[in-house]
Amino acid sequence: MISCLLIHVSRTSHGLPVRQAGVVSGETIQLGRGAGCHVHLPDHHVALHHASVRRADDGALYMDAVGDAMLKIDGIIARSVALQPGMRIEIGPYLLLIETAPAGHDIALSMEKVHAPDGHETAVGLRQPVTLEALGYSKRMLGAMLAAGILLLYMLLPMLPSVSQALDKWQADLPVTLNGSWSSGPLAGGHAMFEAKCSTCHKHPFQSVADEVCTGCHTQAGKHLSNETLHKRAFGSMRCTDCHSDHKSRAKLRHDAEKCVACHGDIKRINPDSKLADARDFTVSHPAFHLTVPDGMDAQGVERRVRFRQQDKPLEKSGLKYSHKVHLDKAGISSPEGDTVMQCRDCHRLESSGEHFSAMTMEKTCQQSACHALNFTEPVEGIVPHGSERAVMSRLREFYGRWLADAPENRAQCEAGSATGNACANDLARRNAAATLFRKDTECGECHEITPAANEDVPWKVTPPRINRDWQPGAVFPHARHDTMDCTACHDKMNSQKSADIAMPSIEKCRECHVGKSPVRGKLVSACVSCHRFHNGEGK
Amino acid sequence: MNRMQGATLLKYRDHRYLKVASALVLLAMAAYSLSGKAGDEDFGGTLLGYLLGIAATLIVLILMLYGVVRRRIGGTMGRRQPAKDEKATRGEKPFRAGRLEGATLQGWLSAHIYLGVLLLVLATLHTGFHFGWNVHTLSYVLMLLLIASGLYGLYAYLNYPTLITLNMGDDTLDDLLLMIAELDELAAARALALPDEIQALVQKACRETRVGGKFWQQLSGEQRDCPTHYAVQQLPELSAKYGTHEQPKMIRELYALLLRKEKLLQRARTDVMLRARMRCWLLLHAPLGIALLAALTAHIVSVFFYW
Repeated sequence: MISCLLIHVSRTSHGLPVRQAGVVSGETIQLGRGAGCHVHLPDHHVALHHASVRRADDGALYMDAVGDAMLKIDGIIARSVALQPGMRIEIGPYLLLIETAPAGHDIALSMEKVHAPDGHETAVGLRQPVTLEALGYSKRMLGAMLAAGILLLYMLLPMLPSVSQALDKWQADLPVTLNGSWSSGPLAGGHAMFEAKCSTCHKHPFQSVADEVCTGCHTQAGKHLSNETLHKRAFGSMRCTDCHSDHKSRAKLRHDAEKCVACHGDIKRINPDSKLADARDFTVSHPAFHLTVPDGMDAQGVERRVRFRQQDKPLEKSGLKYSHKVHLDKAGISSPEGDTVMQCRDCHRLESSGEHFSAMTMEKTCQQSACHALNFTEPVEGIVPHGSERAVMSRLREFYGRWLADAPENRAQCEAGSATGNACANDLARRNAAATLFRKDTECGECHEITPAANEDVPWKVTPPRINRDWQPGAVFPHARHDTMDCTACHDKMNSQKSADIAMPSIEKCRECHVGKSPVRGKLVSACVSCHRFHNGEGK
Repeated sequence: MNRMQGATLLKYRDHRYLKVASALVLLAMAAYSLSGKAGDEDFGGTLLGYLLGIAATLIVLILMLYGVVRRRIGGTMGRRQPAKDEKATRGEKPFRAGRLEGATLQGWLSAHIYLGVLLLVLATLHTGFHFGWNVHTLSYVLMLLLIASGLYGLYAYLNYPTLITLNMGDDTLDDLLLMIAELDELAAARALALPDEIQALVQKACRETRVGGKFWQQLSGEQRDCPTHYAVQQLPELSAKYGTHEQPKMIRELYALLLRKEKLLQRARTDVMLRARMRCWLLLHAPLGIALLAALTAHIVSVFFYW
């Protein structure tokens, strides 16, 4: 049995201690928050049953902590302690002092709540900010920081390269250039190499890119008009960049076809003497095609061309006789290799430019597969070369001269007046040439137009063939990009029996696939520059 | 502002600004489609592009002016009132009274909203639908964010005041917090005589339960692993565990207290959340406006610097 004198210490408003004594006793003295404890310590920091005082076998009194509870003995954390007078024990907010026990008591214990009572203050969790304003974020500060960052990165830094050339050169090698953020889009084609160095074209701040910058490299770009006065009137203050604006696409420098229409929509306004018709759009306002054919040379040695309206159905005067129908016969045409079905490209070979076709020649074109050998048969069989009339006659004379020398009895073939061998050979050559080679419908005459000539040695004239290379020099037509089509889809030659037939397609044929600037489903939008070139000088 | 006021805002003067904005949108779209540039590689640099850009810049300036006007007219209404009286003005932006050059602030706000949407159309046409990693698209993106935050703000001002009133009734947040604190006190007193496990639970619920807090905590309107909620869940189990030899009546009372607290907490947190969601966009909207002005300056300077 332990008898304990328990002294409750409280304080007056002046802080003076008031002691109230009582006695508790039991086999053990229990301390805790619980109402059943001998020493009742009502506080949240105290366990329901915090500690107990027991008598050990040797008679000494010990205080043991219960469960997880802890004791603080003279400032030191402990679980169990032998009680000595003068000892200070802290449990939660309570301070227990072991005092000298008066007679009749085993122990005297004074207890005082020394820390402020809890539970009466609003918990921290309820004192948090409850409005966004209370968080103290500054909208102005955030805005100012964002603005300052943007102005630094996107305005100040990009300006620097135009201040110093050395800086400009240095920044061009950086992974991210200083003024890259100003570029509105990728540079076209070869210009891409200048992307890191804006100053290549943008020479001076707040000044537009000058024409000299363009012509500094593009020295070959021709003027649109050769007439200076007209050029000035038409283009006045226009700059290269008015039509060619870069930073649009990597693929190519854009051409602004709208600008063509500014003049060509009403060409008489610019040039009252112009023979051109107005054109605004390929679909709705474009004149019918014209065809031009060569017409000799002018005094300066430049080829003269005559322009026809296509609907006037001009004829080609090539000096040749040629039937496409015969050659393109689906049943085939007889050749030394047997019947052959010919294709357009057997004769018409596209040049590497992809636009025009190589000139055709007798040797490469007509004599391929040994077709069209030049035979003569009278009085004996032989072959002449394909060349001038004089060369043919020389070859014939040479042939007959040798023929007479080898067998003098052949002179009998000559006319009575041919006294000498040479005269006889000449006579034979002229006679047989007239009978076979230079007849209007066989041998040379089968393909060429032959007229008599007032020349004793060569009394025939073969009209020199002239096949038109370019019917529409004012436009470009990339044949290579149309190779998915059959030639005859545009060029109606299957039934053409004469060389004079011109089988150029009309504008309606083009419009089956191409439209002007307004898109149409299933058709290709085609601007002026799809077919016309600006810088190729007048007429293109 | 309640729904009626919101409706007035959009219908201001018989939809005056809706009509103006719609007319300009139609005009711009017609001009854009007639210019035949659709699908081409044109953007700001054409005549129409410049016109659209100039119009958009002017609109941005007018929209920014609203920020200035709002302060000046708001100033005549008196500065922000002390938090205690906030109930009286909650949800009512001070734009009912006051005039600046003959226009009410409500008129300005109505114009601000419709011109903002108009700006979206004009600037988009100005881009010609070409975008890249550059200062030009940066300006456009900032503008998109600005308009998006503004539209969110419009939505919030039209809807949240009603929700706040529904949630709070006649109470204020301070009322609720006081009631919660009182409940805490009562619960703590009850728990003193109860087993340590229950007491610890209640202590934790009193100390660590939170209303409001940091930015995201206010916006979320809940506390993850809320200790009060946890205590309400755990108490029945612990009651069964100790019920036989402890005071079941006290535990029941404690449970009732915690349940009441949880309900009050939910209302208080919802209030904080709704008001945070009603105001949060401003934290973005105003700084983005300043940032856009900077980006726009850089955009315009860059275009003419490299002319």
